[in-house]
Amino acid sequence: MTIKTLLEIQNLKTYFDVRGGVLKAVDNVSLTIKSGETLGLVGESGCGKSVTGASIMRLVPIPPGRTAGGKILFEGIDILKLPESEMRKVRGNKISMIFQEPMTSLNPVFTVGDQVAEVIRLHEKLSQQETRERVIETFRLVRIPAPESRIKEYPHQMSGGMRQRVMIAMALACHPKLMIADEPSTALDVTIQAQILDLMNQLKEETGASILFITHDLGVIAEMAQRVAVMYAGKIMEGADVDTLFSEPKHPYTMGLMSSIPILGIGKNQRRLSTIPGVVPSLFKLPKGCLFHDRCSVSLKECDQSEPPMIDLGNSHFVRCHKYV
Amino acid sequence: MSLWARIASPEDRHPFFDQIEKLFKNRTGLVGLIIIIVFSLAAIFAPLISPHDPNENSLYDQLKPPVWNLEGSTKNLLGTDDLGRDMLSRLIYGARVSLTLGIVSVGIAFLCGSLLGAIAGYRKGWPDNLIMRLMDIILAFPHILLAIVIVAYLGPGLRNAMMAIGIINIPRFARIVRASVMDEYEKDYVTAAKAVGSSNRRIIFNAIFPNCLAPIIVQASLGFGAAILDAAGLSFLGLGAQPPLSEWGAMIAQGRAMILRAWWVMTFPGIAILLAVLGFNLLGDGLRDALDPRLRD
Repeated sequence: MTIKTLLEIQNLKTYFDVRGGVLKAVDNVSLTIKSGETLGLVGESGCGKSVTGASIMRLVPIPPGRTAGGKILFEGIDILKLPESEMRKVRGNKISMIFQEPMTSLNPVFTVGDQVAEVIRLHEKLSQQETRERVIETFRLVRIPAPESRIKEYPHQMSGGMRQRVMIAMALACHPKLMIADEPSTALDVTIQAQILDLMNQLKEETGASILFITHDLGVIAEMAQRVAVMYAGKIMEGADVDTLFSEPKHPYTMGLMSSIPILGIGKNQRRLSTIPGVVPSLFKLPKGCLFHDRCSVSLKECDQSEPPMIDLGNSHFVRCHKYV
Repeated sequence: MSLWARIASPEDRHPFFDQIEKLFKNRTGLVGLIIIIVFSLAAIFAPLISPHDPNENSLYDQLKPPVWNLEGSTKNLLGTDDLGRDMLSRLIYGARVSLTLGIVSVGIAFLCGSLLGAIAGYRKGWPDNLIMRLMDIILAFPHILLAIVIVAYLGPGLRNAMMAIGIINIPRFARIVRASVMDEYEKDYVTAAKAVGSSNRRIIFNAIFPNCLAPIIVQASLGFGAAILDAAGLSFLGLGAQPPLSEWGAMIAQGRAMILRAWWVMTFPGIAILLAVLGFNLLGDGLRDALDPRLRD
């Protein structure tokens, strides 16, 4: 049985023209998301993972941003070629987005119920009563208690976790096919984080929506995703099923990330937390050859010469490293 | 303190009520509000409370002094002008003219200024440059002079004076709205609004604009006072309200010749202007204190 491909990104290039040159925030990124699948996109700050998400929604500010190449096929249609008016019908309706900061992503002067209703009003012609019912139904879906009275509250009256639920309700209101979650749990404290992640997993089962889950937290990825792509300095370094990636990471960067996860407890496992030496290169001064070679512990002599190609290791495991040529 | 107040309060109120409460706690704002309410009531109920017809001439009662003067009488509490018209009645009817004029001219400035400012702040680039340079040109003219030019072009009269004052006040609103819109534009909820598929127009007017209202309301209140003052100036020059309409500025102009013989003809409309403008300015200051998030405790 083949599962339908929902979103296919081919060689996407999102560049920013800034003083001092061109920032290649997303460079030749290819990803696929199947129906009902969660794809985790991991990487350090500034590696281009959020820009990838914004590119799918076409929310990258132009200028300074621009799409320098590539295709984003959503249900077989290249959404980069859609006119803006058509794109508006996609946003919030077929593809929706959950943001990192529930504190600031809600409009402070409207009630949360109004804000969810606005999404429905934009995309569907429902009567006022039907809209209200849909809002309450969506609030129930995201497990907000007492939705009838909660819809009348303003964002400042809610806790962070509740606000993030409202954001998820806004994203779900029109039954989207794909949700882009840009670090949806990072701004929340750990217990709430777990609740929100649980909720998103349940909602994925209930609604069948695919999720592009953007995060820097490998622990969260392990819990959420079926497939994982590791991003570094604007490029995908490794992509695999979640089990494969965690059990046998192939790229030195992925291995470095894995060993940088602190292990709790005492005994023979206890050691100093290992780190990856150096810092993420500035997008202005990308190293020649492999982008990771100057931080890599196993770099070969061709690593600073030529950029490694994406290598298929079989079992849909891809890695961009000279070691496996 | 605010955190505890919020937790302690039995039910969460709309923040609007907190601001109203703050306005009432602020003495100057409250005084301003009371002055404006008194003037508004006088304007609304002018036919009921004014003792005489404001345009009724009385040849026997010319230039009667106010009641506390030895020659004054209770018939004309604030005296009469050179045509024997009752000063108090004329002042009360004058409040009607001044308030209407304030509403209309601030309304024009508010609507046009907000629209232009919002477009400039949201679009940036050449629309911003075009609109704001135009606003700079308007601001480069001395305030009243530009109003005089516009009235001279349109012809004297209260209606044209209102339009002129509206036009010269557009830049004030445009600048404030532009700055607030640019400020709000950076906020996450704007990106969120885009992400759910809102059109640009909806984002500006439904999402951003309501968040910019605080400084605009303050400006509207201050602008009201300024508009009354400007209109009085135009009427004083004979370009605004035309006789026999009882407009405060026109009344001052008319009483100017007899300041030495009959001081009250000119002084009372002057005090009326002073109080009205003061009221709006105090209210404006009070609103600024109540609405400015930086001044919140």
